[in-house]
Amino acid sequence: METNVRMILFKEDQVDQASEAIETLHHHGISDKDISVISGVPFSEKILGRPMSWTRVPQIAVAGALFGFIIAMLLNFLVPNLYKLSVGGMPLTPIPTSIVVTFELTMLGLLISTFLGVFIEMLSPSFGPKGYHPKISDGYIGILFNCPIHADEDTCFELQDLGAEIVDVAEVKQP
Amino acid sequence: MAADVKPFIGSKASPHQESEAEELRKEHLMLDPMPRDEMNQMVMEAMTTTTRKWWAWVIGLGLAVAVLLFGAWGYMIATGMGVAGIRRPVYWGIFIVTFVFWIGISHAGTFVSAILRVFKAEFRRPFTRAAELMTTFGLAAGALYPLIHLGRVWVFYWMVPYPNARWLWPNFRSALVWDFLAITTYLLSSTIYLFLPLIPDMAMARDRSTGWRHFIYKLLALGWRGTEAEWFRLRKAISIFAFAIIPVMFSVHTIVSWDFAVSMVSGWQSSIFGPYFIIGAILSGISAVVTILYILRSTMKNMDYFIRKEHFDALGKLILIFSMSWAYFFFNEYILAWYGGDEALKQVLTLHATGPSAWVWYTMLICNVAIPWLFLWNKKVRRTPWLMFIITLLVNVGMYAERYTIIPLTLGHQRSPFDWGIYNPTIIEVSIALGTLCLFIFLYLIASRIIPLVPVWEVQEGQMSHTLRKIGKTEIPSVTELE
Repeated sequence: METNVRMILFKEDQVDQASEAIETLHHHGISDKDISVISGVPFSEKILGRPMSWTRVPQIAVAGALFGFIIAMLLNFLVPNLYKLSVGGMPLTPIPTSIVVTFELTMLGLLISTFLGVFIEMLSPSFGPKGYHPKISDGYIGILFNCPIHADEDTCFELQDLGAEIVDVAEVKQP
Repeated sequence: MAADVKPFIGSKASPHQESEAEELRKEHLMLDPMPRDEMNQMVMEAMTTTTRKWWAWVIGLGLAVAVLLFGAWGYMIATGMGVAGIRRPVYWGIFIVTFVFWIGISHAGTFVSAILRVFKAEFRRPFTRAAELMTTFGLAAGALYPLIHLGRVWVFYWMVPYPNARWLWPNFRSALVWDFLAITTYLLSSTIYLFLPLIPDMAMARDRSTGWRHFIYKLLALGWRGTEAEWFRLRKAISIFAFAIIPVMFSVHTIVSWDFAVSMVSGWQSSIFGPYFIIGAILSGISAVVTILYILRSTMKNMDYFIRKEHFDALGKLILIFSMSWAYFFFNEYILAWYGGDEALKQVLTLHATGPSAWVWYTMLICNVAIPWLFLWNKKVRRTPWLMFIITLLVNVGMYAERYTIIPLTLGHQRSPFDWGIYNPTIIEVSIALGTLCLFIFLYLIASRIIPLVPVWEVQEGQMSHTLRKIGKTEIPSVTELE
């Protein structure tokens, strides 16, 4: 089925209308995977009646923390054994002082990998219809959807009735 | 929604209620919404306006950094550490005092942004970024001091945990190596924590700029569109950071305190030095936030809309609480040392209060305790920005005096009276310390014209979740949880 990428905009105070518009799109047989919502402020999925998003950032963060922990273990317990220096009867690999190094490196791993997770996911290809309009950063709520050509006109009329501003296809672009 | 928030939920408002609502709107930024495009415009205007005065400051500070910091430091490197006043028995002087001071200042951003975020303190919204910038630049200024103090700065990489030619590694049991790890962790994580919530604002700036600015913002916005998935992962990441950076912040100043506490020096070896340092750092950091907010509000366009008296009031209360906490830790530390009967320690305490440098000790107590307690209980004072500016400047003078008392004044009078001495900082040391202050202000000035200092999306989100609710005969601000 041939489709057009369409974009509609709602003002920042039209959250209710935006969620109704999504409902309307569902009625027209447009599924959630053919709809993307973009906005200038975060709206939870529940507010707009959308399926939950997913992210692997927490898992990547935990992996980073584990990596930092392992590095700390190596520095604390392997390194002193590479070249043993006994100082005044002090233990070679004391646990209390190792806790400090372990904590710092684990946290460093956790925090850096959290950022890397965001960075990688931001640069990874995303699903759903793509497009952008500068009005989004002015607080507008944008709904992008793949609209079957035969239902294009009817859908647009219905959305306009809800107060949507229809964006010309030519204006839908990448940031 | 933010553009025309209904003043009341409940029933129709009377003229009297309308005027009350008007008062509340004037008072609270969250109840005084403005269309997002206007807020964006205001922030962009503040960011892109550079007057002659601003350029004069930038050039003046740039020169000051070149002469006071790099000139004096270069002279010290070329001539040797002998040009500094540190010598037996005081080997830690102004360099370490200023190092601790800047690390303390850097606690502001994390406290304001992470702790207040975790506890959902709504007043934080407009100034989290201003505070986070302080953290990053405070750490940048502070991180120079281990290098400066090192003397032979060209061998600084010996601090990095990698083995030398004989496979000798740094000693991981040393508090100085912990310092290196903690500061590196904190600097990296606070810089990232500054950057993450900045991404949507970078996209906003990208959409409203041209030329080199557009290029930079486009690069830093990482292709941000504001999709549900992007917001979801950003919030997850900010949430992970907000929780994880708090223990890191605590660890940094605790470890800085251990630089002292792990030694056998009278007056340093104390089990409460960690929390005592942290409370002092937060007191100093929040005070510095107020100082900066006053300067931003007075010098940058449109900032009076975002930074209001309510913010000075709220931060003033926090300063009062932390001043009391600091006094508690100080007294706890003092009385046990005094009561313990250790002769050397008693000598140190007596010297602090009655010696030739006693004025430093009294400055510390007056600025950290007397002034906040005398003035900050008063709401009128807390809501007078210029008064808050003066008080918070004085608190930081007091905190600097505290570090000066703890470090050179304590080191000069240890267990062997024949080895007592007085530390006199030289002009080179004072110049380097002033140079880092200029560096901090210089970096902040430049950043204020490149980075949107107000997190507009966070302000709008806050304004959307606030409304006035009529209960009985009065209206009260009410917050809805949007997350």
